[in-house]
Amino acid sequence: MKLLILLAALASVVLASSYDKKGVAVATDKLYIKECGACHFAYQPGLLPANAWQKMMSNLENHFGSDASLAKEDFDSISKYLNKNSAEKFMNYKRSARIVNSLRVGEVADSISKTPYMIEKHKKIREDLITQEEVKGIFNCTACHTTAQKGIYSEKDIMIPNFGRWED
Amino acid sequence: MKLIFALLLFLTISSASVVDEYLNTLTKEAKIENPSFSGFDLKKGEEIFTSKHIGKKGKEVSCVSCHGDDLSKTSKNFFTAKEIEPLSPTANSQRFSEVKTIEKWLRRNFNDVYNREGTAQEKGDVITYIINK
Ligand code: HEC
Ligand code: HEC
Ligand code: HEC
Repeated sequence: MKLLILLAALASVVLASSYDKKGVAVATDKLYIKECGACHFAYQPGLLPANAWQKMMSNLENHFGSDASLAKEDFDSISKYLNKNSAEKFMNYKRSARIVNSLRVGEVADSISKTPYMIEKHKKIREDLITQEEVKGIFNCTACHTTAQKGIYSEKDIMIPNFGRWED
Repeated sequence: MKLIFALLLFLTISSASVVDEYLNTLTKEAKIENPSFSGFDLKKGEEIFTSKHIGKKGKEVSCVSCHGDDLSKTSKNFFTAKEIEPLSPTANSQRFSEVKTIEKWLRRNFNDVYNREGTAQEKGDVITYIINK
C-alpha cells in the first residue's frame, strides 16, 4: 500500500514536470499581432520570459537599430499582454520550458535567437543559409519553420529556402 | 444598388479626407515653422523619398529600400525581408486611412532613414509625392 502511494506520488511529480503540450502557445491578441507583426512575424509571447520582454519594451525607440515606438495606450496594452503570457507562465509548453531552463539564473535575454537553447538548436545550420536574402537571420523563424505561426517548431516542418527539408 | 453606390462614394470620400485633413494640419504646423511657407512640393518629396542616407542602423538606406521603386507593388522590408503591401493609396485602399497610423510610420521611418523626425514641411512634401505617384 505504502509503495503504491509512493508510486502514485512519484508519477504525479513526473507528469507535472513533463510538458503536456508541444510547441508554444499561439499569439492571440489582435493589437499585438498587428503592431508587433508589422516588420516581422509576431513572435509568440511564450518564447521569452517576462523580464526579457520588459527589457525589450523599454527600448522600442531603438529596437535592434529600428524605431518601433508605440502610442502610449498601445504600449501599455501590449506590455500587459506579453507579461501575462510570457514563457515562465507556460512551462507546460515544451519550447517555453526549454527556453526558460536554458537561461542562467538572473540572465535577461536580449532576443529569442540568442538564448542558449536557440543557439544550441541552430548551430548546425550553414552560415550562408542563414544570411541569404530570403532569410537574413535566425530572427526570421517563419522563413524556415513552415508551422511557426501555429507555435509548432518540429524538425519535420522545417524547409530552408534554397536548401529544402532538414534531415539531421 | 443605389445604397451600395452611395456607400462606396462615402468610403472614397472619407478616405480621401483623412489624408487631406492631415495635410491641412501639416500646413498649419509648417506655417508656424516657417512664416513664408508656400505649400508642399512634390519634387522635394521625391528627393526625400528616393535619396539614400546613413540611417539609424548605420546602413545606407532610403524610403525606396523598403517600399520599392513602384509604389503600386508589394515590396520587401530591407532589414527583415517581410512583405510590405503597396504604399500607394490608389493600389492599396488601407493606406492613409488613419492619422494615428500615418504619424506612427512617418515618425519611425524618418528616424530609420534620417536619424531624426521629419519637419511638417518634409512630411507634407513626401506625402504629396506618395499620393500622386
Ligand atoms: C519597425 C519595425 C519593427 C517593429 C514595429 C517591431 N520590430 Fe521587432 N525587430 C525588428 C528588427 C529590424 C529586428 C532585428 C532583426 C535582426 O536580427 O536583424 C527585430 C527583432 C525582434 C526580436 C528578436 C528576434 C530574435 O532574433 O530573437 C523580437 C523578440 C522582437 N523583434 C519583438 C518585437 C515586439 C514584441 C514588437 C512589438 C512591440 C516588435 N518587435 C515590433 C523590427 C521591428
Ligand atoms: C535558417 C532557417 C531557420 C531559422 C531562420 C530558424 N530556424 Fe529554428 N531550426 C532550424 C533547423 C534546421 C532546426 C533543426 C536543427 C536540428 O535539430 O538539427 C531548427 C530547430 C529549432 C527548434 C528545435 C526543434 C526540435 O525539434 O528540436 C526550435 C524550437 C526552433 N528551431 C525555433 C526557432 C525560432 C523560434 C526561430 C526564430 C526566432 C527559428 N527557429 C529560426 C532552422 C531555422
Ligand atoms: C526599414 C523599412 C522601411 C523604411 C526604410 C521606410 N518604411 Fe515606411 N513603412 C515600413 C513598414 C513596415 C510600414 C507598415 C507596413 C504595413 O502597414 O503593412 C511602413 C508604412 C509607411 C507609411 C504608412 C502609410 C499608411 O497609412 O499605412 C508611410 C506613409 C510610410 N511608410 C512612409 C515612409 C517614408 C516617407 C519613408 C522614408 C523616410 C519610409 N516609409 C521608409 C517600412 C519602412
